[in-house]
Parts: sequence; structure tokens; C-alpha cells
Amino acid sequence: MLASSVQRSKPTPYPSKARSALIRRTVIVVLVLLALTLLTISFRSPTSGALHSVQGAGSTALRPFQVAATRVAQPFRDAYDYVDGLANAKAQNARLKKQNEQLRLAALVAAGKLAKYPAYEKLLHLEQGSAFPKDFRAVNASVISYPDGPFTHQITISAGSSSGIRTNSPIVSGDGLLGRVTDVSPDTAVVTMLTDPESFVSARDLHSRVRGMVQAGSAGTLVLSQVPKQLRVVKGDEIVTDGTRNPRYPDIYPYGIPIGRVSSVGVTDTATFLQVQVQPFANFGSLDAVAALVPTKRHR
Amino acid sequence: MTLIDGVKAAVVLFVAAIAQVSIFSQLHVFGAVPNLLLVSLVAIALLRGSIAGAVGGFFAGLLVDTATLGTLGLTSLVLTLAGYWIGRYGETTGRDRGHAPFLSVAVVTVLYEFGLLVMHFVLGESAPAGAVVRSLIPAIVLNLIITAPVYALVRRLLRVAGREELTTEVQLLG
Repeated sequence: MLASSVQRSKPTPYPSKARSALIRRTVIVVLVLLALTLLTISFRSPTSGALHSVQGAGSTALRPFQVAATRVAQPFRDAYDYVDGLANAKAQNARLKKQNEQLRLAALVAAGKLAKYPAYEKLLHLEQGSAFPKDFRAVNASVISYPDGPFTHQITISAGSSSGIRTNSPIVSGDGLLGRVTDVSPDTAVVTMLTDPESFVSARDLHSRVRGMVQAGSAGTLVLSQVPKQLRVVKGDEIVTDGTRNPRYPDIYPYGIPIGRVSSVGVTDTATFLQVQVQPFANFGSLDAVAALVPTKRHR
Repeated sequence: MTLIDGVKAAVVLFVAAIAQVSIFSQLHVFGAVPNLLLVSLVAIALLRGSIAGAVGGFFAGLLVDTATLGTLGLTSLVLTLAGYWIGRYGETTGRDRGHAPFLSVAVVTVLYEFGLLVMHFVLGESAPAGAVVRSLIPAIVLNLIITAPVYALVRRLLRVAGREELTTEVQLLG
């Protein structure tokens, strides 16, 4: 018994092991090849062919499921949107407030610019009109400071020597003459207006050709002085700058700049000259845009 | 894998694919979209092996490509490979480990995103690598968040496979 050979069962060679590996590899290779084939066909003819028709039909068949899924999810999506909206409401409120503030500021700036528009329009009209003096060019500027009391008659404008403005450059608004530059820096200039007691302008009556000197009067008006009383000046006459009378002594103001209109003419027996009051065209109390007259010729 | 299990897995993947294209594709969180289909496929592949993973991935991808009228075979190819690899991981080492679903989802999310990117690039379509890289971390996080419930549900639906159903290529001794 001991010598006899022992019958042993034949060991199982794990047939399923190799088989399953083979199946697994076959499946993956087939699937990958299938996917690549579909990919190739679909890529080569994305909008036509049998495969595209099948895909369209499949998509149509799946559509009800997608619609159903969307409808099922809709309440949850609405709830999410609602919560999300609430969470963002505070930040959105702050952002809108800030935006509102910026818009309000922009509206104010725009309104401010719009308020200056008539002044600029008048100025442009003056500069393009026939009354604008020859041999001069206009340097436009805005008024950046105003008289700080009843005893000062100066304004500061936003252009200076870098723009060609020099001391004694005439300054006009869209209505007429304002004054002259008495101090200048590269980017700003101080203008002394006609209402200053020290200002004198050689002027003439545009209709009667009568000459005189315009200087500051009372209560913001001007007077045309040194007009002999035998000459005739009529209320309503326009007064303009007289310009240079003697080439040896050139005037700082060119001829023809409107100054004002005669508002009253007085005469007394004892006085040598007429008392001519002039209402200035320019509104000295409300200035936005002005222009400096800069000579185009170098020798001036 | 029994027939009933196959039907259950098919239903799970069908529902996941429809939900993915109809609902989840619109949930953009930090530029990323949670991928319910991928997570479901990972769960099935881990529980049922590489063949189930590959077949499931193929048909689920085909479903997505059909529903979205995209290039047929594109998503199929990527999901087939993803299902196969995760299935192999489950068959060999990972099935009984607690962290396996999460590790699988994290890894396969990266591979899936870059796989699709490469495929689009090869086909000459728009392949924004920067956008994919930026949304990668959020995508991983989102997929990890849905991993636990999805895996638990799939595990409950599919009974745990016996030892004999596992691949015999790697057998535990002792």
C-alpha cells in the first residue's frame, strides 16, 4: 500500500484565470476600437450620414428623459437661485449703491459742463465772427478762481505763458471785453477786469465815432470819460475798443472788441466832459469761459 | 455579474447620464461642474470590475454623446478607459479599502479632464488647457463631495461580488 503510488487528484490549472484575462482584454480592445471607429466616422461626417441620422434619432428618443430630468430639477434649481440671490443681495446692494453714487457724481459733472455750454458757445461765436481782431489768436481757458470780495476785481484763468499768454494780453468772454492779464505763470494767469479802478481802456462810440476812456464806474458799471460835452453820444450806442491810435504807442487792446452799451448820458453846465455811463456786455459776476488774445505776429 | 446586476448598473448609468447632461452640466461652481456620471461609473467599476466598468463607460459615454449631439465615441473612449482602469484597481487592490472610492474619483477626475482635453486637441477643436487646469481642483472637490452618497447608493443596489466573481489573476493566499 505504501509502495503503491498514491492517486492524487489532478491539480486544477486555473483555467478561469487565463480565460477571464483574455475576455477582459478582448472586451477593452473591442470597445476602444469601436469608440475609435465611431469617433472617426462621426468626425469625418459630423452633419450627414447614417451615423448622424442614428445619433439624431437617439437624441430625439432621449429628449423626453432630459425634459423630465429638467422638470424634476427645476424646483431645486429655483430654490438654489433664490438662496443664491439672497446671499448675493447684500453685496449687490452695496455695489449698486456705489454705482449710484458714481452715476450721481457723473450726472453732476455733466450738468456742470452743460451749464458752461452757453458761455463756450458765445465764445466760439465771438472767435469765429468778423469782429474778432486780426493778427490775434484765441487761447481758450476756464475761470478757476473768482474775486474773493467787493474790493478785488481779479480772476484766475487756467492758461498761462506756456500757451502764449503774456502780461497785458487782452481777455474776452463771449459777450465782450473783460480786462487784461496782470500776472502770468506757466499754466495760469491773473486777469484784472475792467471793473478795477486802475483799469483804463481807450474806446470809441461805434456810431458817433466819439472817443474816450472807459474806466470803472459805480455799482459794476463803466463810464466813458473824457468825452467833450459838445460831442454827441446817444443812449444805446455801442462802445468798442479803439485800438492803436498812434503806432509809436501801440494800445494793448486791438480795435473793435465790444465793451458795452451806453446806458445814460449826463451833462452839467460846469463840467467839461459828458458823463456817459456804459453797461458792460460781459457779466463780470458770472464767468465760466474766457479767451486770451495772443498776437500771431512775433513782434507784437 | 448577474443579469439583474447588469440591468441595475445600466439603469444607474442611464439616470446618471441623463442627470449629467440635463442638470449637473448647468451647475457651475468655481468654473467646475460636478460629474455624477463619472462618479457613478467609478462606483460600478469598483464594485463590479473592469469589464463592467469598460462596458458601462462605453455605453454611458455613447449616451452622453448622443444626447448632446457631440462627436460620437469621444466621451465613450475616455469613459471606457476610465471604467476599465478603475475596475482593474478594484479587482486587484482597492475594492475593500475605505478610501478606494475617493482615491479613484480624485485620480479619474484628473485623467478624465485631461483625456477629454487631449481628445479635443487631437480633433482640432477648442481645447482651453488653462481653463481645465483652473477648474481641476474645484472639479475634484465637487466629485469627492458626491462620491460618498453615490457610492453608498450603488453599493446598496448592487450586491457585493463574491470572491469567485473577482478576477483570478490576483488571488489572496492564506
